[in-house]
Amino acid sequence: MARALTVRATVPEQLVSNNARSRRIVDQIATALLWVAASSVVGLLLLFVLYLFVQGYSAISWHFLVGYPQAATAGGGVGPEIFNSFYILILTLIFTLPISLLAGAYLQEYSGPGRFRDIVQFSAESLATVPSIVMALFGLLVFVQILGWHFSAIGGALTLTFLNLPAMMRVTQQALASVPATYREASMGLGATKWQTLLRVVLPSAIGPMTTGVVLVSGRIFGETAALIFTAGASVSYGASAYDFNPFHTAETLAVHLYSTQREALVPDATQIANGSALVLLVMVLIFNVVARVVGRQLTLRFTGKA
Amino acid sequence: MLETPDAKTSALRAKMLVENVDIYYGAFRAIKNANLEVPDRHVMALIGPSGCGKSTFLRALNRMHDLTPGARVTGTVTLDGHDIYAAGVDPVTVRHRIGMVFQRPNPFPKSIFENVVYGPKIHGEHNSKRLTEIAEKSLRAAALWDEVKDRLHKSALDLSGGQQQRLCIARVLAVEPEVILMDEPASALDPIATSKIEDLIGELKKDYTVVIVTHSMQQAARISDFTTFFLLGELIEVGTTSDIFTRPKDKRTEDYITGRYG
Repeated sequence: MARALTVRATVPEQLVSNNARSRRIVDQIATALLWVAASSVVGLLLLFVLYLFVQGYSAISWHFLVGYPQAATAGGGVGPEIFNSFYILILTLIFTLPISLLAGAYLQEYSGPGRFRDIVQFSAESLATVPSIVMALFGLLVFVQILGWHFSAIGGALTLTFLNLPAMMRVTQQALASVPATYREASMGLGATKWQTLLRVVLPSAIGPMTTGVVLVSGRIFGETAALIFTAGASVSYGASAYDFNPFHTAETLAVHLYSTQREALVPDATQIANGSALVLLVMVLIFNVVARVVGRQLTLRFTGKA
Repeated sequence: MLETPDAKTSALRAKMLVENVDIYYGAFRAIKNANLEVPDRHVMALIGPSGCGKSTFLRALNRMHDLTPGARVTGTVTLDGHDIYAAGVDPVTVRHRIGMVFQRPNPFPKSIFENVVYGPKIHGEHNSKRLTEIAEKSLRAAALWDEVKDRLHKSALDLSGGQQQRLCIARVLAVEPEVILMDEPASALDPIATSKIEDLIGELKKDYTVVIVTHSMQQAARISDFTTFFLLGELIEVGTTSDIFTRPKDKRTEDYITGRYG
């Protein structure tokens, strides 16, 4: 026993595995490869942002950000388009959030495994695979033609609702699934009903991942083009002001404007405007991401009693 | 009828009565025909090797299996003579009267105060003065008040594991149950926190009926008045703790007590 405890100064030859060196080299190469892969994601993003900045920077001015677009002369702005992007985003969230929240909560918390849940899941997955241009044609048919709303903000928002409902529902389900089962057990063990448990314990704990998910989906809504061209239209309102809250007026968003100026505009500075629009779109989405993440963190702290 | 553990105790009344209970997970029969009397205002320990079904049995006592898909309980479990599995009985009411403390401390991600008053609030108490009183009373009863009285509105998640578990006990006490079920409440705690929980259980039995699952025979011997031994889903033997540990009637109990099993 005592002998076994003596410390040897050198490692005996037989303890060194004969392939240790080669395995270490392979390990180092693998680490390097993984690092390069991860860094290239960051690199690509930076390159992309830089490119858009260089291209679009000269187009940006106060006038460009708030001014009206021009039909045939240079110097048009994207003010109403920025407004419409946010307006349609908010309308879409108003339609999407309650439905997806309730449906997601039902699937995650209430329905056990069974036929109804399978059917809902299958429907959501199928809906999620419908290309946005197909959804746009559906919106064109239903809102623009059958209901006779013409191109309108609300028609665009409802089309985007169909498009994003499955993703939002999935977000809700995942956020609820991330709440530890022990919280539910504790609540039910105290004699709470399922509804009380959902409202007072599960939802407040899910607010962080919920917010993150809503932000990601919002980014997609903000940048969506195909679904809006035939439903919300590719021109701004002809009302008293191009900044128009009437949901039944046509409402071109920034992303659609980017497409339409490049594609069919008569203005001489179309490329310039498209570059500027792209930069504004990107910056908006980035700001939106950061703000909502901060808000999500604050909400989490508040609802978990840490603030 | 069980004999009293000591001469001073007056005649025992059964708080809960378990008759011919089987518990299934799908087709698997986890508990086989269990019968048990749980005496009022005493501590009943459930012991046995891992996987013997003692936790499964415990969760049948306040209908927690209702929440597990595929779990099924047959037979009768009565509380003061009323079958808690009878048609028309609301499991929510059952869990109000029979509280549960879990293996791992599971405070809500809320403040200490909000954790304690959660139960009273969901049962309709909204008077803030009354809630403050309940919080203090429950935290005192759980021997936690002095440690947390200056930080009631700080997050419960910043407490130590032992404090969290006592908070969970306070949270159960706040709804004023009659029976408290504990599923290895000290298994995730260090020895000092464990001894605090054990002292607390000794206090609780003055007012509450306690049923505790434990994997530690020493703990069962220290804190319980009665002990029930489970093996492979069967309730093998029940008796006063001193009888079970010194004069077990069944060979299998004796083997387990003396360390010859599992």
